[in-house]
Amino acid sequence: MPAIEFEHVSYQYKSGVKALDDVSFTIERGELVVLMGENGSGKTTILKHLNGLLKPTEGRVIIDGTDTRTATVAQLAAKVGLVFQNAEEMFFESTVRDEVAFALKNFGYSEDVVKRRVEWALRFMELDAYAENSPFILSGGEKKRLALAIVLAWGPEIIALDEPTIGQDSLQKEKMAEMVRLLNTQGKTVIMASHDVEFVADLSPRIILLSRGKVMGDGTAEEVLTDVEKLAKCSILPPQVVATLTRLQDLSITRRTLSVEAAAREVVEKIWR
Amino acid sequence: MALSLFEGLRFKPGKSFVHKLDPRAKLLTSLLILITAFMYTDVVIISILLLLEYVLIRIAGVSGMWLKTLRGALPLAAIIFVITFFARMADKGVAFITFYESFAFAYRLVVFLSSFSLFFLTTTPEEIALTLTKLRIPYQYTFAFVSAIRFTPVLAEEMQSIMDAQRARGLELDKGGFLQRIRKMIPVLVPLLVNVLRRSYELAEAMEVKCFGVSKNRTYLKELRPTGKDYAFTAVVVVLFAMVVVARVFYIQPALHIFGLLGLLS
Amino acid sequence: MPIIEVSSLNYRYVGQRDYVLRDISFTVNEGEFVLIVGPSGCGKSTLCRCLNGLIPHFYEGDLEGDVWVAGHSVRETPTHVLSQHVGMVFQNPQNQLFSLSVESDVAFALENLSLPREEIRRRVDEVLSLLGITELRDRSPFELSGGQQQKVAIASVLAMRPRIIIMDEPTSFLDPISSLNLIETIDRIRKSLGLTVLLVEHRIELAAPRANRIIVMNDGQIVYDGNPAEFFERYDAHSYGVYVPKVVRLAREVNKHVRLFNKPPLSPEEFEERVRMFASHRV
Ligand SMILES: Nc1ncnc2c1ncn2[C@@H]1O[C@H](COP(=O)(O)OP(=O)(O)OP(=O)(O)O)[C@@H](O)[C@H]1O
Ligand SMILES: Nc1ncnc2c1ncn2[C@@H]1O[C@H](COP(=O)(O)OP(=O)(O)OP(=O)(O)O)[C@@H](O)[C@H]1O
Ligand SMILES: [Mg+2]
Ligand SMILES: [Mg+2]
Repeated sequence: MPAIEFEHVSYQYKSGVKALDDVSFTIERGELVVLMGENGSGKTTILKHLNGLLKPTEGRVIIDGTDTRTATVAQLAAKVGLVFQNAEEMFFESTVRDEVAFALKNFGYSEDVVKRRVEWALRFMELDAYAENSPFILSGGEKKRLALAIVLAWGPEIIALDEPTIGQDSLQKEKMAEMVRLLNTQGKTVIMASHDVEFVADLSPRIILLSRGKVMGDGTAEEVLTDVEKLAKCSILPPQVVATLTRLQDLSITRRTLSVEAAAREVVEKIWR
Repeated sequence: MALSLFEGLRFKPGKSFVHKLDPRAKLLTSLLILITAFMYTDVVIISILLLLEYVLIRIAGVSGMWLKTLRGALPLAAIIFVITFFARMADKGVAFITFYESFAFAYRLVVFLSSFSLFFLTTTPEEIALTLTKLRIPYQYTFAFVSAIRFTPVLAEEMQSIMDAQRARGLELDKGGFLQRIRKMIPVLVPLLVNVLRRSYELAEAMEVKCFGVSKNRTYLKELRPTGKDYAFTAVVVVLFAMVVVARVFYIQPALHIFGLLGLLS
Repeated sequence: MPIIEVSSLNYRYVGQRDYVLRDISFTVNEGEFVLIVGPSGCGKSTLCRCLNGLIPHFYEGDLEGDVWVAGHSVRETPTHVLSQHVGMVFQNPQNQLFSLSVESDVAFALENLSLPREEIRRRVDEVLSLLGITELRDRSPFELSGGQQQKVAIASVLAMRPRIIIMDEPTSFLDPISSLNLIETIDRIRKSLGLTVLLVEHRIELAAPRANRIIVMNDGQIVYDGNPAEFFERYDAHSYGVYVPKVVRLAREVNKHVRLFNKPPLSPEEFEERVRMFASHRV
């Protein structure tokens, strides 16, 4: 059974904006998928469909065999951990530990399970030293990790992340990429919204390309991010390696790759031939 | 219900004669309607006022929203009716006149709520701000008013987003008893408050940089420039009001005269 | 001619033990485009506040050293005077637009300074067309996209005709295309008005090719100040939280085979130029 199925999903906000237009895709268990698209292309809207915060106006969303219209948000949230783009603005407890425990209590875990899981999640995200601190005084990068720890604690099979790299420096991004990969190798299905092309290129996931609420492409990072014309149509800047190679087309540099090493070899070969 | 009352106070863009009228002319009209309604507890007069409002509303093409305000005002009117009825019953008993007066009181409320809806529906918040300035209200208050209008939708969006985020953490806002539900608002209200504080700090910083409050004689780029139409309209309104005052002095109460003729007041 | 002179600047916020800025000294010449980078929390925003008077006039705390901007001592000059020399654009566009129409927002500071109405009108027209947003004039800031909002914010600051403009991560909320568009707009305006620009930015790959100079901060101190290409050549940028653009890595990788690049290229264009020059010599 696939983890996530979108069948001809359309969604219109009350304001009349049609944010999704006949979106279909299937994500298998254990996949790492990134939704890419310009501002307003519908990435966040798709993520909010995963745990039923939004229900499709047309079509169906099926999570782990359950049609989202037949389940409550709480039931779906147990399966899909959604980390909001500004999750660090949603903290409210007085300690980091309580912040993580909040969701576990909502899901009705017993006290000792809550305790065990909180400790585990904090350790996993390297936050155990801050357990007794207020979440408000953490640094930017720590807050992002806490947001992820909160979700990991209840052990959802599917992890959804909205723009996890926004406003982060290069070290923090690297850490985030590491965490995402680790989760994925542990068998979690990870779906992420991002317009950070270079970050995505390094992660090398499956990419679903969106533009104005429509799916414009679906394939490996190598396939999607080297298709310069299509990226331009979706208002996405190609990764720098691809952009550079494209500029040298007439020097018989035809290879399209995301790898710096492969691109360098191509340049050297074609120029020294 | 209460919400539909507010609906009727929100600006609906348009290009009609009424939209283009000077906001002060409209404000004056609304005020005079209110005063007239205070002077008379007479259904005939109040109905005429309502009719006048309706004409303006039709010209402005916002009758849908206006009717919503009227409907929104009904529960409030009902409360007024009941209260007045019991208050009057004490000295007049359950007579026709008690019913009549209670009804007129409630009706009056509908008229003046709707007269303000006429003003707010056809005046942009910017024009309202300009009117406040013209009334020599200090700029700080005008600025506060503008910010309230500007940031209400931003806050509503933020609140929605916080609620979504906490529901994604398994919070079930619509479950449980009354007290429990109130307690469940804490995870929503605390972040909202924190964010409002942070936002106001950032706003204050930006205001400082934009020289807010530096000069006592602030310039206003936009002005209210009344045209011939505004003067003509205001003149008509004032003449009508003068007639109302004269009629009041001579104690003309059309409804009571009619009822008297029909022998209902004996 | 230096337009900004900072010497031995130290600063800590009220109630804090540690200094957030430590022994900062640099000068900026008129017309320069300076990129300020560094890991999160290193003090970039704090430095910006020291340059436009928010520190010490809005934020209290301990300030040592001298800051001179456009001939004014920041310590002695009130913010509203400084604002007319140094424009400041913040990260979140939502929180720097207060009005109900773009036009009023652009006019806001000028109204506060009680300039004559005719002058305000002229300047508003001027900056709106400079940023190419004249058609947004009567729209409400709330209904604009992030990129458009940020342009309005820039316009509202430029209306005061500052000679310096400081921007603190103005593209955080934008996608790459809108960010590129914004940075290109800034650069175009800088050239046409002869402005001095200080830009704090995490998207190095978009900003570096346009900057004359890069200031790298770490833990409250300046660790590098100079030519951007040289920084990537001599330093391990990543360890300072600074993203190393892929073209720089590509050039390094090519150099392992053939030494083609004496200094790292900062954009695909520069890379291309170098390769073509080399290819044409070989023919
Ligand atoms: N609550 C809402 N009410 C009305 N319209 C909305 C709402 N949220 C989003 N939209 C609109 O729906 C469309 C898709 O928005 P969405 O937030 O899914 O885009 P996104 O791809 O996540 O963009 P970004 O990169 O800016 O986060 C946009 O046109 C947006 O303006
Ligand atoms: N208003 C304030 N009061 C007290 N401390 C502050 C304040 N603003 C920032 N700080 C502290 O000063 C240090 C430097 O912060 P600053 O915001 O200047 O960093 P930054 O380089 O701009 O980081 P980022 O890239 O995350 O924006 C941080 O440790 C921060 O916690
Ligand atoms: Mg989004
Ligand atoms: Mg900052």
